[in-house]
Amino acid sequence: MSQKEFSVYMSGVGGQGLVLLSNIMGAACAASGIRALTGEQHGLSQRSGSINVHMRIGEGMASPLIPIGGADAQLALEALEALRYVEYLKPGGVVMMNSRIQHPVVETAAHVKDKTAKYMSAEVVKERMSQVTDKIALIDALSIANQAGNPLTENMVMLGAISTLEAFPVPEEALKQSVRDHVPPKAVDVNLKAFDMGRKVAYDLLCNIVKCRQ
Amino acid sequence: MGVADVLKEGPGKAFMLCNEAIVRGALEADVKMVSAYPGSPTTEILDTFSEISPKFDYRMEISTNEKVAIETCAGASMVGMRSMTSMKSVGMNVASDSFFSLSYTGVKGGMVIVMADDPQAHSSQTEQDGRPFGPNSYTPMLEPSDPEEAKRMVRAAFALSEKYGVPVLLRTTTRVNHQSGIVSLEKMDRKPFAKLAWDHPPGRFVTVAESARNFKHALLERTKKIEEEFESSEFNRIVDAGSDVGIIASGAGYNYAVDAASILGIKPSILKLGTTYPLPKGLIAGFLKKLKTVIIVEELSPYLELYVTAIAKDANPAIKIYGKWSGHFSEALEYNPNLVVEGLAKALGLKMPVEYGAILAKAKELKAGLPDRWPTFCPGCPHRATLHALLDATRGMKHILSTDIGCYSMSFLDPLRYGDSLLSMGACLGVAAGMQYAAQEKVIAMIGDSTFWHAGMPGLVNAIHHGDDLTLVILDNEVTAMTGQQPNPGRDYNAGGQAAKPLVLEEVIKAMGITDITIVDPYQVKAAVSPMREALTRKGPNIIISRRACALYADRNKRKRGEVIDTNKVDTEVCKRPYSCVRSFYCPAISIDDGDRKAFITKELCDRCDVCAKLCPYGSIKRREGE
Repeated sequence: MSQKEFSVYMSGVGGQGLVLLSNIMGAACAASGIRALTGEQHGLSQRSGSINVHMRIGEGMASPLIPIGGADAQLALEALEALRYVEYLKPGGVVMMNSRIQHPVVETAAHVKDKTAKYMSAEVVKERMSQVTDKIALIDALSIANQAGNPLTENMVMLGAISTLEAFPVPEEALKQSVRDHVPPKAVDVNLKAFDMGRKVAYDLLCNIVKCRQ
Repeated sequence: MGVADVLKEGPGKAFMLCNEAIVRGALEADVKMVSAYPGSPTTEILDTFSEISPKFDYRMEISTNEKVAIETCAGASMVGMRSMTSMKSVGMNVASDSFFSLSYTGVKGGMVIVMADDPQAHSSQTEQDGRPFGPNSYTPMLEPSDPEEAKRMVRAAFALSEKYGVPVLLRTTTRVNHQSGIVSLEKMDRKPFAKLAWDHPPGRFVTVAESARNFKHALLERTKKIEEEFESSEFNRIVDAGSDVGIIASGAGYNYAVDAASILGIKPSILKLGTTYPLPKGLIAGFLKKLKTVIIVEELSPYLELYVTAIAKDANPAIKIYGKWSGHFSEALEYNPNLVVEGLAKALGLKMPVEYGAILAKAKELKAGLPDRWPTFCPGCPHRATLHALLDATRGMKHILSTDIGCYSMSFLDPLRYGDSLLSMGACLGVAAGMQYAAQEKVIAMIGDSTFWHAGMPGLVNAIHHGDDLTLVILDNEVTAMTGQQPNPGRDYNAGGQAAKPLVLEEVIKAMGITDITIVDPYQVKAAVSPMREALTRKGPNIIISRRACALYADRNKRKRGEVIDTNKVDTEVCKRPYSCVRSFYCPAISIDDGDRKAFITKELCDRCDVCAKLCPYGSIKRREGE
């Protein structure tokens, strides 16, 4: 079946559940008869380091890596990790980023040396990225995940958010089924709740400027 | 994706990581023996085999090192069973001694060796190109580009291995191993495990002198036959676009070449090579004859380029060849779509469709001041505490730190920048031996428990035998932590949770002949300092064991037992900002509040190892209550 191509550059910090997120998307594609491929990072980089997953959905592409300027969207589980890969975003592409910042240890080390040093904030990241696109949703995924009942469901909040995009070719129900298939049985409800809350926040924050599904 | 898909009844389709597809292929091919040592980018092969092993009857070992792993598979395949091992590039070096002999002796049951290179050195000490292992040892080699092809190649590799009685290499790279895609599942037609009778004449697998010379003649004949078979292999595909421009590519390079051609809007003819040793020279010659220009897209060394250039000398001497030697592509780092677009555009004199340089320049400007986020020790990591204690214990002591492969290698990164040399698994001891002869400073070697079992023991035997004056610090965190906390010989279980005999480090070392062994708990970060310092001032060789379980491993076990993981917080009333919890410690859970400049602990990251609390002179770090 022929589908429109959609590439999303996903990033975060090791330990945030980024690979699980891409597995859920990919399995939902497989179940829906949509072709998908990813370029992932495993191993050393997981140790609280910066991690990324290139997610490509559609028939045409062979490369698991997205070319520079080739991502229709960026999904970041941590705000600094959105800016770190900004070169992959198409001009005018959609950015969904968690407002949460995990301060890298080198930045904290600099704070000890310089009493006036400030951490880079999510607002600064948003301001910088707004030079590439005006379609940015800054989502407080941690507090939403906590409202859903588990701080570890930030990734589901972001998955729910991206699922609202009209251009994102994976059906909502297939994503939800994939969540059910991938998380432990007792965690299904809280994960689906986080997913739905992520959808709601995306409608509030983004769907006035980006075409979303009804 | 995940174990459920690997286990799914075929036929069907699943979204799988390439490493899982490799396991699936081996299961479909009825593999009966699996042994491996973990190493990125192959680790998920071992992990998947290990996790599902209780559901199957194949035999499996997580070996002490890659050489033992390849030998274990060799033994099973000599008897007649199908076996698979997997290893990263540098692991192949460890295994290579036996690997070369295996091509001579051959095997009876199918044997597949997954060898994964790591262009870009994402998680390796070098960017090694393993492809020359094929021709150098006369071992046939297949190279997939994606998970689907990898699975098909594994099945074909077992059949080929049995047909010619030789192990087969499946050569991958990081971007193939760690690529997920849709894979077609076939039926798993597995026969029950049953031991076989040894049906070989004496000396069948002995290679030395006369027998080696005989084997050599036979393997040359074998290689010739395999090359003939590869001329029509399904894994070598020509897309003849009728163009006088062609691309020859393999592995990850093929994926980028296809996308790059499409981005450039060109339709070259493409030869995708899947059998990269022996190469189908006739097929390549035929392809070259139709072209005026050929571009070779392969990562790392000009392996294909060398052969193609030699074949072109007779097949088409006038052809223009573009690749690494022409300066259009680099031998360094991994490729990506834009690099290949640039290479093709330059070779063919095309205008760049996208100005990648401008995008990158803009991104660089936007990223001004963005802090790096290198991999670092996890919250609760005992290595962080050991290194803090070691830095305290060596204050004022001029010394050299010869370190080794493991999570503790990261101590050389910012902000700690601690560690003077690192070569390969177990090398800290041999290097330290040389240093203590040549250097005026105290020499300290540092190794993890898994690396010690893997390749550290011969180095220690050497140091003990020669009385080398060095102190070996063993960071015993109970598991092979860096690759995902696999069990090592120190644990009472192995692959799939099967029971295993645990070896005790200090008992083994005592038996080797050292009694000067100091054991500390790094979580007692202050109490550990003086015994460490005393040990370091005594003449070596002597040993410090810093023992505490990997935090990821310990926390996972706590969660399994249903225990709550406590966290700490900073009492800002008490904190006087000495930053003792930050300096030389740098836990990702601890940051400094931009307002009051006091330390702040992120609840979601802390696992209450409590080491920072012990470092605070004011006692301002306390257990978080009721939040």
